[in-house]
Amino acid sequence: MSDEAFTTARLPGASAIRFRPVTMERKRVRVALILVSLAFLGLFLVMPVVAVFVEAFRGGMPAFAEAIFEPDAAAAIRLTLLVAAISVPCNLVFGLAASWAIAKFDFKGKSLLNTLIDLPFSVSPVIAGLIYILMFGSQSLLGPWLKSEGIQVIFAVPGIVLATIFVTFPFVARELIPLMEEQGRGDEEAALSLGASGFQVFFRVTLPNVKWALLYGVLLCNARAMGEFGAVSVVSGHIRGLTNTMPLHVEILYNEYNFAAAFAVASLLALLALFTLVVKSVLEWRYADEIAATRRH
Amino acid sequence: MNAITPIDKGASVALGAPIDVTIENVQKAFGDTPALHGVSLDVKAGELVALLGPSGSGKTTLLRILAGLDAPTAGRVLFGGDDALGLSVQDRNVGFVFQHYALFRHMTVFQNIAFGLTVRPRGERPPKAEIRKRVLHLLDLVQLTGLDKRYPSQLSGGQRQRVALARALAIEPRVLLLDEPFGALDAQVRKDLRRWLREIHDQTGHTTFFVTHDQEEALELADRVVVMSKGRIEQVGTPDEIYDAPASPFVFEFIGESSFLPVTVLDGAVQLDGRPLDLSGLGAPSGTATLGFRPHDVSIVEDGSPAITGTIVTERRHGGARRLELEVGADKHRVEIDMPVDHSRLAGNQIAFRPHRWRIFPR
Repeated sequence: MSDEAFTTARLPGASAIRFRPVTMERKRVRVALILVSLAFLGLFLVMPVVAVFVEAFRGGMPAFAEAIFEPDAAAAIRLTLLVAAISVPCNLVFGLAASWAIAKFDFKGKSLLNTLIDLPFSVSPVIAGLIYILMFGSQSLLGPWLKSEGIQVIFAVPGIVLATIFVTFPFVARELIPLMEEQGRGDEEAALSLGASGFQVFFRVTLPNVKWALLYGVLLCNARAMGEFGAVSVVSGHIRGLTNTMPLHVEILYNEYNFAAAFAVASLLALLALFTLVVKSVLEWRYADEIAATRRH
Repeated sequence: MNAITPIDKGASVALGAPIDVTIENVQKAFGDTPALHGVSLDVKAGELVALLGPSGSGKTTLLRILAGLDAPTAGRVLFGGDDALGLSVQDRNVGFVFQHYALFRHMTVFQNIAFGLTVRPRGERPPKAEIRKRVLHLLDLVQLTGLDKRYPSQLSGGQRQRVALARALAIEPRVLLLDEPFGALDAQVRKDLRRWLREIHDQTGHTTFFVTHDQEEALELADRVVVMSKGRIEQVGTPDEIYDAPASPFVFEFIGESSFLPVTVLDGAVQLDGRPLDLSGLGAPSGTATLGFRPHDVSIVEDGSPAITGTIVTERRHGGARRLELEVGADKHRVEIDMPVDHSRLAGNQIAFRPHRWRIFPR
């Protein structure tokens, strides 16, 4: 609709009547609101991100490269990637299973499961880390047995993976459940009545119907998995080159007044955030289309 | 949407012979809530049967039980004399068409229609060329030739429902089940599709059940109409039987327009407020009863012979007639009667009439 047609209406024998959509504020107000939002974003988001990159490259490219390829930093990057590579697929499977169960059939305790999925959102990450120490630490019930078997969970990679999975498990499920509930069971019933097996229904109908939402959830899950600090900090033990993830490594460097190196590693995390943001926007644009198509049905 | 043209009589769809469907005392409860109380029905091969009723009457539940999407609590369903309840939904080989189409949105029209064939195990799956031939033929049948590469979101509602029907027909179903197939479409498209569905049925000859709450649709389309209410079958009959000889006040009220008056039957004659009406009791036993008649089945009485007298409350235009709303008797029962358009009486006036077709339902 053209702007002109929207704002003016011509009546026979009358001059053009200015008409402003009733929910649209006066120009002054509009400009003020936009400026306030922009100023806020600039101050709290854009400036810090820019500052991270400026600080990271203050010493020039060689110093930046040295900070990143230095063995402890490289180990932290590798560990972060490893943790994400384990926890994201776990949450992908869990999220799909849980949302499939919640959206597509009825069972006792369904609403309880639905509520429990949100638990990591409401629990402080530090508590999440402590839970694993209480479960698997040397003072715990399982501690002596784990020790005799030679399995180290706490202050080792398994603990970090567990804490990360806990903190990130709602992301995929939370994206899928509303979409799957909205789509209902009709497509699955149609596929079954046409003779498809359970596997065929899942891979040919259910999964394609949610693929963009799934990708979106995985992306958010991954960003959080790589950036998680609190829960991981509790279970990691901060052993350099062994149990330090990128966020922990940044903190250590910073506490040692090694600002250039701290910002260099931090800039990688910021880059991840920017990348996530871009892909997320692209997906939202794609995914909004799919949602709209769903609504049109 | 394209205008719907008559189907090419030369076209044919490969089919097994149509089968009888027998429903024996089927009961269904969802938790403690009963949805069907012992429904029995015999449907002959090739019949087109409408399951008609208001929402909550159990018609959709019955259809889903036939499809295998729901299981009955008790009872038997026979397809061609063989037990069908033991078969899974996949093995039952029924074509099911949903009210909201349930087309696979990420597949083209072609892929949608071919779906039932492509999911078959390798040994039973027709070769690609054969699938293609069959899909294109079905597209011709549902008059969507050339739209095979479209996605469902690029089609109108009527076109989507035709794709859904083609998809259901592709698996050569033994029974065709349609759940309010035209419920989501607007009135004109509905009428076109109705006629078109009848033609498809006459051509393919499937034993077909369709669920509807639209009595006009049921009467126009079906060979037999099954009127349901509160999980029970109220009446089964041809459209003429259902319309002209409704078995209960419910059917009378649900099908077509109706007016009711409480009356008494005395020695085979109808009395209203103690005065004879000169209407036969139609074999009803003496006692209280309900008189039912259609608004258009009445004649004005002006010679003072026995009649129903009422006070005109309102009048309004109703299609080709003028409809009067009357208050009758001491209890001021509201009834409606139709008069010719040129007939003009003012509100507040008295009018006397007698139905020339009526039903008596003992109470």
